This record gives sequence, C-alpha cells and structure tokens, in this order.
Amino acid sequence: MSGVEVRSVKFSYGKEIVLENVTFEVNEGEILTILGPNGSGKTTLLKCLNRLLNPEGSVLIDSFDISKLSERDLAKLVGYVPQIHLPAFPYRVVDVVVSGRTPHLGLSMPTKKDYELAYNVLGKLSLSYLADRPYTQLSGGELRLILIARALIQQPKVLLLDEPTSHLDLKNRVFVLKILKEVAKEGIAIIMSEHDPNLASLFSDKVLLMYKGRIVSYGRVQDVLNRENIVKVYGVDVEIFENNGKRYIFPTIS
Amino acid sequence: MGFTRNFGKSLELLLHKICLILLPIILFILYLSIGKYAITLTSLPSVLFKDSIEHTILLNVRLPRAIEAMLFGACMGISGAALQTTLRNPLVSPYILGISSGAAFGAALSIALLGTGYFFLMQPSAILFALIAITITLSLSKFRGQFSPTSLVLAGIIVSALFSGLLSLVQILVEPEKTQTIVAWIIGRLYAVTWSDVVTSAPLAIVGIIGLLVFRWRVFALSMGDEEAKSLGVSVEKERILVILFASIATASVVSVTGIIGWVCLISPHITRFIVGSNPKDLLPASISIGASFMLIADLISRTIWIFEIPVGVITTLIGAPMFLYLMRRAMHEWG
Repeated sequence: MSGVEVRSVKFSYGKEIVLENVTFEVNEGEILTILGPNGSGKTTLLKCLNRLLNPEGSVLIDSFDISKLSERDLAKLVGYVPQIHLPAFPYRVVDVVVSGRTPHLGLSMPTKKDYELAYNVLGKLSLSYLADRPYTQLSGGELRLILIARALIQQPKVLLLDEPTSHLDLKNRVFVLKILKEVAKEGIAIIMSEHDPNLASLFSDKVLLMYKGRIVSYGRVQDVLNRENIVKVYGVDVEIFENNGKRYIFPTIS
Repeated sequence: MGFTRNFGKSLELLLHKICLILLPIILFILYLSIGKYAITLTSLPSVLFKDSIEHTILLNVRLPRAIEAMLFGACMGISGAALQTTLRNPLVSPYILGISSGAAFGAALSIALLGTGYFFLMQPSAILFALIAITITLSLSKFRGQFSPTSLVLAGIIVSALFSGLLSLVQILVEPEKTQTIVAWIIGRLYAVTWSDVVTSAPLAIVGIIGLLVFRWRVFALSMGDEEAKSLGVSVEKERILVILFASIATASVVSVTGIIGWVCLISPHITRFIVGSNPKDLLPASISIGASFMLIADLISRTIWIFEIPVGVITTLIGAPMFLYLMRRAMHEWG
C-alpha cells in the first residue's frame, strides 16, 4: 500500500519500556494526529518512524521496510520537522530550505533548479520576503514554517512533525495546520503530534490517543475523542459539543 | 524585481569570487618581490631565468617559503571553517581541539626516538598523534550522543595541555642536541622551509583540502544538528568522522613542517564569514584564499619589519588575537 504501516512497534530505553504494541496505518493524503499527555511517547514514536530510534516491530513506508533502507533512500521517503531547532550559524533562509535537497544531492552541490524549488516553496508559504535574511533573526512561527519548507522540498512521501503548533500564536497555528492540510492533498501522508484536542479534531483524518506508551484509542475523531477516553488519558473532566459535524472539547473546572 | 535582485546578488557573488582568487595571487607576487634583496616586480620574470644571487634567493628561499605559507594558511583556513561548521561551534579550531598539540608531540616523538635521519617519518607520526588527540577530545566531550559546545572546548583545552605536557617531557628526556632540534621546530617558523618540506607536506595537505571541499554540502547538513542531518539522509557518525579526518590530515601535514603557528585556523574562517557568509558551500573554498592570504601577509611582516626575522607565529598571534576579539564582538550582535 502507499502510506505508512506501523506494526507492533515496541521501544525501550534500557529496561524502561517507552512504547509497546503500537499498530496503526496512515494512507497517502491523510493526516494522523498523535495526542497524549507529556511523556506518553509521542516524540519517541515519531522518531521510530524515521529511524532516529530503532524500535522492535516493523515500520513500512510505501511497503518498504524502513530498517532495510539506506539513510539516503529513507530521507527521500520521509521528511521530519523537529519541535526545536537550534541555529548554529546565521545561514540565509533560502540556504536552509535548500538543505532539504541533501538526500537528492549526495556529494554534489545544489544547482539553480534546487534554489528555484526553494523559492517556489517559500512563495507557496508566502515567505518569499524572508529568503535572503539570516534565519537566526526569524520569529518562532517563521522558523517553524522554514523547517516545514525544508521538509517539503525533500519531496517525501511521508511528513513527520513533532508538535508543529507548539509555541505559536493562534493565527500561526491555524496557518501551519492549513498548510499541512494542503500538503496532504498533494498525496503526502502526514503524522504529527499535538497537544490541543480541538485543533486535532479540526484538522485530522485520524487520531491516535496515547497513554504511557500504549495506544488507548485510534481511529476517526468522532470515535476517539470522547469524554471517557479523554478522562482516562488526561485525568481531566471535559464537556464535548458538536456543531456542523465538528467536535469541540472543553475542560470543566468546578 | 526578483530578477534584478537575483542579478545584483549574483554580480556581487561573482565579484567576491574574482577578488578571492586574485587576492592570494597578488600577495604571492608581492611576497616574492619584497625582502632584504628586493626584486622589482618588473624584473621578477628575468630573475627567474638568470643565474644570480637574486635567482637563488627567489627560487630556493622565497618561492618554497611562499608556497608553504600559502599551503599552511589554506589548510588552516579550510580545516578551521569545516570543524567550526560541522561541530556547530564558532570557537573551535584544529588547535583548540588538540589536533596541533597532538601533531607537535607526534613529530617531536619521532625526532626523539629515531633522530633527525628519519625526517620522513615525522609526518606520519604527527598525523597519527593528531588523530589520537582529536579522538580523545571528541570522546571526552560527547554527552548523551551530542557534542556540547562548551564541553568540546573544555575537552580540547585538556587534551592540548596533556600533549603539551608530554612534549615538554620528551624535550627533557632526550639528548640536548635533539632538544634543540625539537625546540627550533616547535616555534612556529617558516624561515628554514625548503623545497623538500613543500614536497613532504603538499600531497596530504591537498588530499585534506580536496576532501573537505567535496564534503562541503554534507558539512552544511551536519551543522543542522545530528537528528536533522540524519533525517536529511546524512550518515552522521561516519561523515562527521570523515570531515574530522580530512581536517586532521590537512592540519597535521603542514604543522609537521612548520611547527605550531597559532591563530590562523581560528581567525581565517571568521574573516571569511564576514565576506561570503556562513554557508560552507562558499565559506570553505573562500577560507582557503583568506587563510593563504593571511599567512602571506603575516610572513611578509615577519621577515621585513625588523632587522632580524621575527617568527611568523609571533606575528599571527599579535594580529590574530585582537582581530578575533573584534570579530567576536561584532558577531555577538548577529548571533544574539
């Protein structure tokens, strides 16, 4: 199949089991959001999907077992947007974006074509005005978008994002998620972690709810984000409203 | 608008390129001409083919010395730039990481054990100990799989101190005449450079330089941090070691001939950054030119400023230290 298949993934740091019995799949064009409290294994799971960590079990991307791919071939299939990026030098924004071409370049230098791709992606994200700026001077939201742009010109089949909306204001959150929705439409499978169940329900095709390294519930938003599951995972009571087929979740404070 | 901006940009880049190519060439010609025996620029070609004192000075003294100076500067410039970028740390240099102390010890050890009859073994020994030193530095500074910038510098200082200590020990333990050879060798100098020195150091220096040039886009990806580099398809551990290996080979091969000449490796990348920016795609080739030019100027000063020659290491330090301070303060604004 085209997309991602994760089967019985297990991962432990020494004796401490961080992920167990994780099984799910994401088709091309779908957005899967991983929800769960801090420390529930969201980041670890994402890192198992592009071999930053090596889990037991299997991860198939477009039916290829990722443990059998070279680093370079894997990077052509999977793009990764980290939660935090610490710049080391004041590189130009466009150069940072072009670094996404690395798996296609090998030892050769990027050409005009690669730079055109970068300018195009920046244009799509309405960020062309940033192209020549040092990326050390960007705001948090701009930096996040630049990292997404870099992952996009990698031209992957799967895009992994670790809390792409963290530390962003409401406008930027929605902007990032809208962009991801468009990216998915182009046939890319997106897997991301998120803290806000409302944003997750607005933008996801599927939700995966995690607690202590295990899947509590997985499937369509309506089936997963119910009161019982949320109380179980977050330990917080919530009220849930429905409007136009969308689900709105609010914590109750007594 | 996009077109004019891009055009202006590429014109500027072209001018940079031309200047960076011409600068060391012009300095090279000036270097050959200036000195106790001044050879005017116009008479340079004729002196080259006429048997005279000037001919001997030009061909057997100034020419090899100029080439070695450029080679040294080029190796130091590109190695410094590559290591700073790969290890994500602008304070790093082959010297600070202990590569040069290791090389110095290796060279001294070969003089001590084998005597001056085996000069050809000095270079391999220097390279070997340069690699041992950098290995110790890197393993000391690795913390949770990452090279923390602070621990890297601290580990480098410790390793440098360790090998400097061992070097002193070697000097004390060997016969006096060998000590003299070692001491004369350690003080960074170019005055005794001969063609055979150039021939010994050039091949491996060039291997190191070419290796780093070929890897310069990988160096860029590596500077994104380990996890991101990996997700960009880089075999992080392997490729970082290769980059360090090339830098160590380049450094050790020139240090084994010239001794320790400080600051070039730290200052050249920083000067270069202000001209072409931080991207290793441009930074690495440009730092070859800036490093070579810096050394030509420094050595020109060292042999002309006083009635007798002042070792070039003294000059590079006197220029390098205050310059570094200035550049760092300026960079602070940009890096925040």
